[in-house]
Amino acid sequence: MSELKDAESAEISYDFDIHSPDIADTVYDVYAEMREKCPVAHSPRYGGHWVATKYDTIHEVLRNPGVFSSESVNVPGTIGQDGPMIPIEVDPPDHQIYRKLINPLFSPKRMADLEPRIREITNELIDEMLKHEKVDFIDAFARALPSKVFLALMGWDLGDSEKFNHWADTIVLGEPGADEERATEVRTAAAMEVYAYFAEMIDERADSGDAEDITQILINGRFEDRELTQFEVLNILFLFLIGGLHTVQGQLAHTVIYMAEHPEVRKQLVGDLSLVPTAVEEMLRWESAVCPARVVKEDYVLDGVQLKAGDKILIPFASANHDGDQFPDPDTVDLTRDPNPHIAFGAGNHRCVGSHLARLELRIAFEELHRRIPDYRLDPADPPVRHLSQVKGVLTLPLIIGESV
Amino acid sequence: MSETSTASVDREACKGHGRCYMTDPDVFDSDDDGFPIVIGAARTPAELAELDRAVNNCPERAITVVATP
Ligand code: HEM
Ligand code: SF4
Repeated sequence: MSELKDAESAEISYDFDIHSPDIADTVYDVYAEMREKCPVAHSPRYGGHWVATKYDTIHEVLRNPGVFSSESVNVPGTIGQDGPMIPIEVDPPDHQIYRKLINPLFSPKRMADLEPRIREITNELIDEMLKHEKVDFIDAFARALPSKVFLALMGWDLGDSEKFNHWADTIVLGEPGADEERATEVRTAAAMEVYAYFAEMIDERADSGDAEDITQILINGRFEDRELTQFEVLNILFLFLIGGLHTVQGQLAHTVIYMAEHPEVRKQLVGDLSLVPTAVEEMLRWESAVCPARVVKEDYVLDGVQLKAGDKILIPFASANHDGDQFPDPDTVDLTRDPNPHIAFGAGNHRCVGSHLARLELRIAFEELHRRIPDYRLDPADPPVRHLSQVKGVLTLPLIIGESV
Repeated sequence: MSETSTASVDREACKGHGRCYMTDPDVFDSDDDGFPIVIGAARTPAELAELDRAVNNCPERAITVVATP
């Protein structure tokens, strides 16, 4: 039996910084090296934390919420929210009670009703894009679609979409180039504006009498034998904003970058749009943007490494989804890949509640984009700018319409 | 082994990803919360392969193939 390793073991120490712009373009190589050398690694950053990079190990963490608590999913600990984010930072048994309330709001059947509206919004954005030879795909499409769809889902004013995007950007990214203190300051300020906006929506809808209205369902929601507090409703809405915009935006952008750079794969998709559902799953596997953390609640041995109560561990889903022990030929995109049990939406009890909505948005977007814009390419003189952070994304994506490489 | 198979879903493990009813809508449907309901069985080799695909796409490893009762 080999000795247990721990936080002091030099061979598993790895200087990994999830917020470093320097590795935004190369993080998959970093993960590959970590899976090979130190699949449960200790990074000195942010006061010291663990990073697990194998699919099975991350699965073990996700399936064990008693040991691996979600009480704080960020590194460092806050993105400006007031109290734990509901339900993502709530553990069982309370977590289940919130999810019972929220699941039906995002059920596949409810989402299917939204399909025509999503298609309409998608095509309006494409109409606009087609008027130009070059667009910033982020501004022109990827940023706009999820916020408009979210506002449509809520029955709020689609005109507020730009405001929403600004808030979500600030909260998720802080202020580009600012130090940590300043970043926390701007995040907190944006979060306060979001809470104020939501409070206004709640007031407007408190007695709309519409049984299908999501705001109304939440206001009338119950936590066992009491009503939800306004604070809880605000926190739930806050998380929809944080969880539902950047993620879809990033996924759209990552896919378009890949398809722009790989015309043979894009042509395969353009030639057979029935591939879109498996293509969506494959691109989710290929670029899994989310990397949450868990807090270790009791001493635990994970893959031969001794974790201690109070430690924090990062679980990059992108790394799990490129693990060759789970996915044959993991670094190849195969639009027909099957099986593809990727965990881009997480796994275990915090499985993304918005996954049915996200999948629908991604499917419609890729159908309509590739039906109407079969050719597009990057501009070598003006390449996309990516950012890492716990929700990996793309800041700008200049795209030339109607040409292929 | 029976020639007709269906699915058994471990309700503890299943977290409602929906990969099963997306993959094999002949055997699985979704309830109002997005959790699967087993609605059918697989008989032909093609149907059995489809059911296997659903099993292998489940990120929670929650589905087992069982002989129809
Ligand atoms: C491609 C798009 C998306 C991706 C990749 C994604 C990814 C994820 C992941 C990985 C988690 C689990 C985090 C953890 O285990 O700590 C999660 C949770 C969550 N997501 Fe998403 N998400 C997406 C879209 C959405 C959308 C559209 C919404 C809703 C508007 C949403 C709302 C949420 C919520 C509320 C949670 C918390 C669930 C819980 O803790 O029980 N997400 N998402
Ligand atoms: S794919 Fe697995 S976890 Fe998802 S709904 Fe089906 S059985 Fe449940």
